[in-house]
Amino acid sequence: MVLEVSRLCVSYDNTQVLRGVSFTLGEGIAAVVGPNGAGKTTLLKAISGLINYEGSVKILNKDLSSLAAEERAKLVTYVPPIVDVMPDMSVGDLILSDPLIDRELLEQYVYLFELSTLLKRRLSRVSSGELSRALIVKGLSRNSRIIALDEPLSHIDMRFQLILLKHLRTLSKEGKTILIASNQLNPLLNYTDKIIALKKGETIFTGNTTDFIKTNTPEKIYDVKFETILKDKYIDLIPTP
Amino acid sequence: MVVSVSILFSAFFTHLSLGYRVMNPLSVLFSGITQLVEGGLGVEGYRVLRVLTAVVVGAALAFSGYLMQLSTKNPLADPYILGVSSGALFAVSLTLSLAGFVTHPLMIGVRFLTAFLGGLVAYLATLFVASRAGMTPTSLVLAGVAVGTFFYSASLLPQYFISRDIHKLIAWSMGSFVSPSASVLVLMVLMLSLTTCYVFFVRHPLNNLQVSDDFVRQLGRDPAKLRRYSTLLASLMTSLTVAWFGVIGFVGLAAPHISRRVLKSSDLVFVLPVSVVLGSLLLTVSDLLSKVLIVGVEIPVNVIASMIGAPVLALALVELRKYGS
Ligand SMILES: Nc1ncnc2c1ncn2[C@@H]1O[C@H](COP(=O)(O)OP(=O)(O)OP(=O)(O)O)[C@@H](O)[C@H]1O
Ligand SMILES: [Mg+2]
Repeated sequence: MVLEVSRLCVSYDNTQVLRGVSFTLGEGIAAVVGPNGAGKTTLLKAISGLINYEGSVKILNKDLSSLAAEERAKLVTYVPPIVDVMPDMSVGDLILSDPLIDRELLEQYVYLFELSTLLKRRLSRVSSGELSRALIVKGLSRNSRIIALDEPLSHIDMRFQLILLKHLRTLSKEGKTILIASNQLNPLLNYTDKIIALKKGETIFTGNTTDFIKTNTPEKIYDVKFETILKDKYIDLIPTP
Repeated sequence: MVVSVSILFSAFFTHLSLGYRVMNPLSVLFSGITQLVEGGLGVEGYRVLRVLTAVVVGAALAFSGYLMQLSTKNPLADPYILGVSSGALFAVSLTLSLAGFVTHPLMIGVRFLTAFLGGLVAYLATLFVASRAGMTPTSLVLAGVAVGTFFYSASLLPQYFISRDIHKLIAWSMGSFVSPSASVLVLMVLMLSLTTCYVFFVRHPLNNLQVSDDFVRQLGRDPAKLRRYSTLLASLMTSLTVAWFGVIGFVGLAAPHISRRVLKSSDLVFVLPVSVVLGSLLLTVSDLLSKVLIVGVEIPVNVIASMIGAPVLALALVELRKYGS
């Protein structure tokens, strides 16, 4: 197993936000879904070693808390949702500010996510989708074993969503473990090997997409009824009022 | 970088040669250094000491400004704008009017310490007000203006109650390099080196402080600590300059701003060194102007520096508005 999480608990100011989350992941793409405030971001940050937690997180059989920062950063990368940055910074500065980055890979990603013409542009003048693409490029270029992306689909357009998801699928075939925290079930559902559904800090479901639909988990998560459309194995969930 | 360093060098030598009499800058430099080493301070020694002070203070202020901009994620931050300088000014002004301009060696420590405490209190007050006001770039600046004005006005009060050394007090508070001191210069260089070492050591996480705390954590550093230490070092450097040379505003804002503009980047590795050199340049030129603009009269260097720096603030504000933040 690449990632083993067991009985993970996280509290902020004495309120428990994650209450004993357990799962294991091998190579592949896992979606972390759940309503706002369920603890998705908290989960991703905990397994990236960015916040304190109780319980155990093991990466390649090594305890996360025993790893030095450098070693940890090579194993797992957290890609934040769009952040409040210094407005004077350029896109180029943003993606180059990581000392652990693989420059060759970075160039390929700049091309894939069409950032080459934006490198000199200041962040106060890029759109939120462009900023989001820059953050994704920065995160992927570190080439770590585990990549945890927080809301990567929320700001980028449909074309880039597909570019990203297809590329993540390729990466997962090459042996990477990828976690995506998102609520954009379409198109996410069609690209995942595993779904971890959180609600109020607890896992209410772990399993594959077919079981996710079969157990009616989407309705349990969002308290909304869904109609499932299946076409050539492609799943679309349509909320019904 | 090369360009700014070479301009700095020419300003440096022009500064050395001009004054009450025009002299050969190289001979001023050599005999000045000899005088400084041997002890007796003549015209040459004074000129060398003064220009070196301008260079070092400019570097320290630009460095402080840059660190404050990084740790507040705000391109408008600067020790003067955030009230640090005025806080330090008030504290030292109070001490000096109580103790007078004593030339006891212990006084260096006392002046420095009170300046530091005053600067720190003012800075914390600014951050407190700004965080209550939403911590946007403009609210931070306005909070700094409020706190700074308070301390600046308070620093004027002692002058009305105590008449001892009043002229010295006023001249000092207006910001000037008229009375440089070798030991203060050494202290400043030490402080600057210490900060440089620290910043070099944490340059990557510090660079990421501009982006997101999460990136800093991924590099294995605590962003809160990083902010605290760099702010502390910036306040220390600023307070040290205020303790001896009074308030010199806007250098910390203008130098990093101009260098980011010119380099079209905000990567610390490039911007910081260029800012530091620009800060030195700005003060060397300002001090040069302050002694040659009106023959026989020393205009406070702060007057010139602020006249250059304030328009840069205006420019930065307009840009921020125009492009949103
Ligand atoms: N720094 C913090 N201090 C205190 N409470 C926090 C903090 N960060 C998050 N929380 C709380 O913890 C809970 C889980 O937050 P988290 O950000 O993990 O949710 P999420 O599932 O990512 O939600 P979203 O879909 O909105 O991104 C929320 O109730 C949130 O209010
Ligand atoms: Mg979240």
